Amino acid sequence: MSVKNTLIYAVLIIFSVINVYPIIWMIINSFKSEKEFAVNQFGLPKTLVIDNYIEAWGTANLGVLFKNSIFICLLATILTVLIGALASYFLARIEFKFKNALYTFFIFGMLIPIHATLVPMFILLKNLGLLNNPITLLFPYIAFHLPITIFILTSFMKAFPKDIEESAIIDGCGIFRIFWSIILPMSRPALATVIILNFIYNWNEFSFALVLLNDPALQTLPLGLASFAGQFTVNYGAQMAGLTMSMIPIIIFYLFLEKEIVNGMTAGAVKG
Amino acid sequence: MQLTGKSKAALIIGLLPAFLIYTVFAIYPIFQSFYYSFMEWDGFSEMEFIGLQNFENLFQDTLFWNSVGNNIFVVIASVFGQIPIALFIALLLNRKIKGLKIFRTIGFLPVVLSTVVISLTWSLIYNTKNGMINEILRAVGLDFLAQNWLGDTKWSMVAVCITVIWQFVGLYLIIFLAALQNIPEEVMEAAKMDGASEWVTTWKITIPMIWDTIIVAIILCISGSLRTFDLIYVMTHGGPSHSTDVMALYMFNETFSNLKYGYGSAISVFIFFFSLILIGIVKKVLGQKFI
Repeated sequence: MSVKNTLIYAVLIIFSVINVYPIIWMIINSFKSEKEFAVNQFGLPKTLVIDNYIEAWGTANLGVLFKNSIFICLLATILTVLIGALASYFLARIEFKFKNALYTFFIFGMLIPIHATLVPMFILLKNLGLLNNPITLLFPYIAFHLPITIFILTSFMKAFPKDIEESAIIDGCGIFRIFWSIILPMSRPALATVIILNFIYNWNEFSFALVLLNDPALQTLPLGLASFAGQFTVNYGAQMAGLTMSMIPIIIFYLFLEKEIVNGMTAGAVKG
Repeated sequence: MQLTGKSKAALIIGLLPAFLIYTVFAIYPIFQSFYYSFMEWDGFSEMEFIGLQNFENLFQDTLFWNSVGNNIFVVIASVFGQIPIALFIALLLNRKIKGLKIFRTIGFLPVVLSTVVISLTWSLIYNTKNGMINEILRAVGLDFLAQNWLGDTKWSMVAVCITVIWQFVGLYLIIFLAALQNIPEEVMEAAKMDGASEWVTTWKITIPMIWDTIIVAIILCISGSLRTFDLIYVMTHGGPSHSTDVMALYMFNETFSNLKYGYGSAISVFIFFFSLILIGIVKKVLGQKFI
């Protein structure tokens, strides 16, 4: 290997280590007792201490947090993609007045800083009697992820050949039948992208959860972890165990769907 | 497809759910912010219309301007930290290199993790007593460099920004890599035939060819860092003594801790226009159409 190539690999390896070592450091140390962590922070644990995990699971109420996160995440993702796909179909395939204006109106949402809506969102949901309800978060999650969902799906659906609907109409298909049996199946790659993007956004969302949920029984994972770590600042082992457990699902999800996720992020990034 | 009478009803059924939920829960709140920003209100008792008083107070509020300054610091650190590092690594990866996929997978990993998890992990890393950074410094005999990274006003902002950079380099790396891999091979071949050195090719051909992507990345980076909230909320809560306060966090505290709903809304309105104007300026300066 030439000197140049060696240098390139050296830089890439350093970059990778910086990227991944903080996570590995935490996972490794989550298995150490408080005492071992103090004296041997960089080695592998001598024995695997699982107490940290038991304690974190109990004190942080991780079971409830996981359940809440999965519930809200799945429901919000399914609804956003369904509602968004339906809207995208009309915006991409059907001619009507104000179509472009409506499209721009939806896409504008990508420019709204969500923190500028926290106060009115809190008051709105309070007035609707929806604060501290298991489905509270659905509303902001769907509303703020529709723009990117519609953006990606519309661009994808626009690229289909023009005469797709014509033969279906001759066969006597209605407009929704065309959507459901022809357009949706054809959009599978883009649907995968928006499902994954929505899932990751919803799984990680913090600000709305912070403002809209006070009841610990309804908290999502990021919110519950933040308050758990705030209360137990001294027990590092349990903190690291809690963080490790909460990270595992999304890391597995990522490793399995890496290609799709990366494509989705790049597609989403083309227009911010 | 053209609409018939029957399909007009379908159109409404199809678009109404998205239109309603988006308008009520994303657009309407922005206008509500404007409305509340003219009020004095603690969120419970009667609202009182006070005109532009909130904005007048805002412009004289040194703590607010401090948060604007810190926010701009985050923007600058992100743009000058994330974009060059990401571009550099992407250029290294954009050659026939073994292990490309592994480097890419690892590079992007932090982007999918939740900001809360990242903030808590890095808080442990920065910990004074037994955080990783101080342990490393002590291990190599540089004890005197060990700091209370997040607890010292001199270092807190730097520490926070390093975490922000770490979190999002991967996103821009992937965007740049995708753009680089879309450059037609022939262009590179031709440059090689003409005897251009790699250095020249990179500066004169590769970078100009992905310039549009670089601009998009810079805009994304700016608007993303203007929205910084979760990370700082969890890591420092704006402290010590407001040294890491940013606009969204200041707004949050004024509204929900100090119960100044009208004042908080005025800050929201400011954030909204500040973001739009800054993105507009950057697009204009870098030569792209606005929206």
